[in-house]
Amino acid sequence: MSKKMKIVPCSGIGKVYGLIAREAVLKVVHELCPEKSETVCLGYIVTGDKEVKEKMEGRECITVDGCPKMCASKNVSIAGGVVKEEVKVMDTVKEIKSKNYGTATRLEADGEAVVNAIAAKIAGKIA
Amino acid sequence: MVENYAVLPCNGLDKCAGAISRELAIKLCESAKNEIICPVFYRVAEAKYNKIACERTLLVIDGCPTRCASKLAAEKKLKTSRKITITEEAKNRNIELANNLRLGENENKLIDMILAELSDAGGKNAQSSDKVQFPNEFEYITYQKDKFIFRLPKNAGFFFNENDCWAYVIGNRARIGVTDFVQKSLSDILYFFPPDIGAKIDQFGEAGSVESAKAVVELISPVSGKVVAINEALEQKPELINENPYESGWIAELELADFEEDKQLLIGCDKYFEIMKKKVDEFNV
Repeated sequence: MSKKMKIVPCSGIGKVYGLIAREAVLKVVHELCPEKSETVCLGYIVTGDKEVKEKMEGRECITVDGCPKMCASKNVSIAGGVVKEEVKVMDTVKEIKSKNYGTATRLEADGEAVVNAIAAKIAGKIA
Repeated sequence: MVENYAVLPCNGLDKCAGAISRELAIKLCESAKNEIICPVFYRVAEAKYNKIACERTLLVIDGCPTRCASKLAAEKKLKTSRKITITEEAKNRNIELANNLRLGENENKLIDMILAELSDAGGKNAQSSDKVQFPNEFEYITYQKDKFIFRLPKNAGFFFNENDCWAYVIGNRARIGVTDFVQKSLSDILYFFPPDIGAKIDQFGEAGSVESAKAVVELISPVSGKVVAINEALEQKPELINENPYESGWIAELELADFEEDKQLLIGCDKYFEIMKKKVDEFNV
């Protein structure tokens, strides 16, 4: 079984903050820490399939949520994952204030800046 | 462009096909009056999406054969009007998907092709449930014994049961029929008795029969569902089954009830080919 840290973003459909969560996680697992991290599809986690439950059971995870509904954190816990760190996109958004992060489908420069900042924070927690 | 759809995609995070599913859903909702359903949030807080899921025509888009979105729709007992599975769409169009979450030329091309197809179908689909366009020609593998050649379609989407019947599945529709082994065993087919349109058929239930001077053979349906069409041409020309039981000789179309479950008891082309060869060798055709 993989010992990589599992980084799970919320679904990220329909809101720019969700897209930021998703992009930040992809940046971590593909660019910043590919050897130490991997992601699991939240849509698959919530199916409750035996296979994904076995994959998640007792495994340390970092969740990244775009909004206060905290879908990623809640569902990872339900699936048996151990949420080591809850990352909230809004915390970083408050640090990088902007009127234009982009849309649910395309990020603007300020949105990208939030992605980079969140990705760096997550990478720092993994290293 | 299709309108008034509720679009339920898979989450599309860790596979290229999933990323395409998501992108397709977003494009459908950006360019027309469709609404997206978040597959994760819908599972935990259904109230937000119940209205649009029930009132609109539901389009389910799965990235891969795990079919997370389809499972969710089934769990919520939603009436799915159309299903798209990206890996199957890619295979049917001979498009090779990259092992990359960033969409490239091929992936965007596939999205555009599916969008164009949905656009062609347009409002017609939205109003009249889903009319699926089945291909007219397939590719075959063959097995020859003496002068007899037995064909078997090798295209993705074909499933078989050991009763020598096939189902060709597109989305939530399937065409069903008998295999070459049946038509050659019967020789000249003289009569065709179709199932009733609207009839609900269980998996392995009878879905019509065909008769020759030699025998009557029931079509044992590989899939469960409601009969939505029959091949009317067979009523005048049952010999079309002899000509090609997979193309012009198909028997009925079903709106599938639960293909994911049915599929567990079906076999693919390779496995059925071995079974058919054994039957041919043992049977004096």
